[in-house]
Amino acid sequence: MQDFDVIETPENVELQRRLAGIGSRFIAGLIDNLILAGVFVAIVVAFLIAGLAGMWGSSLNPQAWVTAILVAAAFVVYWGYFVFFELWTNGQTPGKKSLKIRVVRQDGGPITFIDVAIRNLLRVVDSLGLYGVAGVVMFFSKKSQRLGGLAAGTVVVSEEVPSYSSGGTGKGYVHWEREATAEALRATGLTAEEYRALSNYWARREQLSFEARQRLLPKLMEPILKRTGQSLPDASVSTIESCIFTLLTKASTAEGHRHPSPPFGFGVQS
Amino acid sequence: MTAAWFLETRKPRWNRLESLVKKAGLRGPAALSDDELHELTRLYPAITVDVARSRTYLLDQATQRHVNQLAIAAHGLLYRRRHVRTAGALWRFFAQDYPRLFRRLWPYMTIATLLFAIGVLGAYVTVRIDPPTAYVLVPGGLDKPGASARVTSEDVSDRFRRSAKPPMASGIMGNNISVAFNAFALGITAGLGTCYVILFNAMMLGAFFAHFDNHHLTYECWSFIAGHGILEIFAILIAAAAGLRLGLAMAIPGPLKRLASLRTGAREAVLLVLGTIPMFIVAGGIEAFVTPTYLPGILKIALGLAAGAAAMIYLLTAGREGGNGSALRGKTL
Repeated sequence: MQDFDVIETPENVELQRRLAGIGSRFIAGLIDNLILAGVFVAIVVAFLIAGLAGMWGSSLNPQAWVTAILVAAAFVVYWGYFVFFELWTNGQTPGKKSLKIRVVRQDGGPITFIDVAIRNLLRVVDSLGLYGVAGVVMFFSKKSQRLGGLAAGTVVVSEEVPSYSSGGTGKGYVHWEREATAEALRATGLTAEEYRALSNYWARREQLSFEARQRLLPKLMEPILKRTGQSLPDASVSTIESCIFTLLTKASTAEGHRHPSPPFGFGVQS
Repeated sequence: MTAAWFLETRKPRWNRLESLVKKAGLRGPAALSDDELHELTRLYPAITVDVARSRTYLLDQATQRHVNQLAIAAHGLLYRRRHVRTAGALWRFFAQDYPRLFRRLWPYMTIATLLFAIGVLGAYVTVRIDPPTAYVLVPGGLDKPGASARVTSEDVSDRFRRSAKPPMASGIMGNNISVAFNAFALGITAGLGTCYVILFNAMMLGAFFAHFDNHHLTYECWSFIAGHGILEIFAILIAAAAGLRLGLAMAIPGPLKRLASLRTGAREAVLLVLGTIPMFIVAGGIEAFVTPTYLPGILKIALGLAAGAAAMIYLLTAGREGGNGSALRGKTL
């Protein structure tokens, strides 16, 4: 099993599609089946009402036609639910939509009627043993495909764009090194060199081992603290790093709309 | 160009694309204005390049993933099924593609028919030799004869006469189409499941015939079954042929890789089975509205033969290759 499915776009770039996990697909299936169950309950209720209204006569009467339509409706919903939605919304049933996963063709193209029909007719076999067959096949298949997916050549991918905002206000991207603007320097009281060093450290700290950080931090901070006459309650890594974070946040805020949010660090938000 | 500069210059573009993707949200491209859609088509190729660049510059994993996912999301918005006019596609399918497909897959039809014939004969002979086995082979389908142990023609069709016809029609159609779908889907077991469906139905039919022959009701039996049965069984056999196409594609891939073979087989097979739906609708209509009537049996038999012959003629002659038709060959829904 792999986590990614690679497609090559017409632009000759390989895009990696994150395959939907068994968990999210299971939950999506659960939602869809609950909706289906709800529809069937509604049909049965309509059936009962029709029955109470005396529609069980054996002669040709209008009520018998209502019953006939209900029977046909149950059949169409049972076989058509997944086909209809996957076709209509380009690969997303309501359950899949709510989990931001989508059925796509392995070759990267949009799914067609035939793909959807194959996928969902084979659901009969996949759903045997409460989707036990699908589970086992998905476990052994490279791209987490059930039988229907294997035969149709479709995969289910996740389209979730990972949330990227820090502090919840805007979006930011990692910078190796930040430009030392006048506003930032004024707000933090750092020199341009110090500011660049700190932002550089911050962006890369996730890649450093704890020991390396312990070694680096005093070297970085001591001259700054000495110059500004500040002191820290203790010299632990977390204390110094939170001090750096405060400084950099101040800088970002001072820069205003140039960088709508602290542009550094994924470690901070988590 | 440095990584920092790259990030600095591309960020606005990514943010813009992200806001477009967010705006499209659950509604898809329909949520975007014409201008925004246009913008999306310009941003998408740019971002695919950025995906490649972000790898070149070894940007951190989170950024690479983010750009990649943005590209995927935009890809999902842009690459969609071409709009087909359903009515036109359906017409072309039934007017030429389907009969051609049927003729191309005739070997599978032959295998299915042979298997079916073996099942019918086997069950027929068994029940003729040992009559009570009929009640085993036709589960729940036969009324046990009363104390007089006489099976009458009433046993055959009386139950049908008692129930309301429209619900019976849709019930029969739904049930038979489901059987056909199952016969196709079970083909994925290398065809074994489909063989089971064929034999099961064949033995039921063979036993049914033998049971009524045992009680000298041959004509009644035929007048009961033939009206709808000929077309129905024909359609079931086509569905079974579809299942065999799928199963054999997997079991005997030939020069293709097994998965590729399965996919090719599935595409043909699914169309073959879907095309049986109208046949089941006609057959179900006959079964509910004609079979239970008191019309003379010979009329019902004639109707059944006519329906079967019509289906056969359609499948063997419609959409013949040659003329301007051949240009469209291979195009499907």
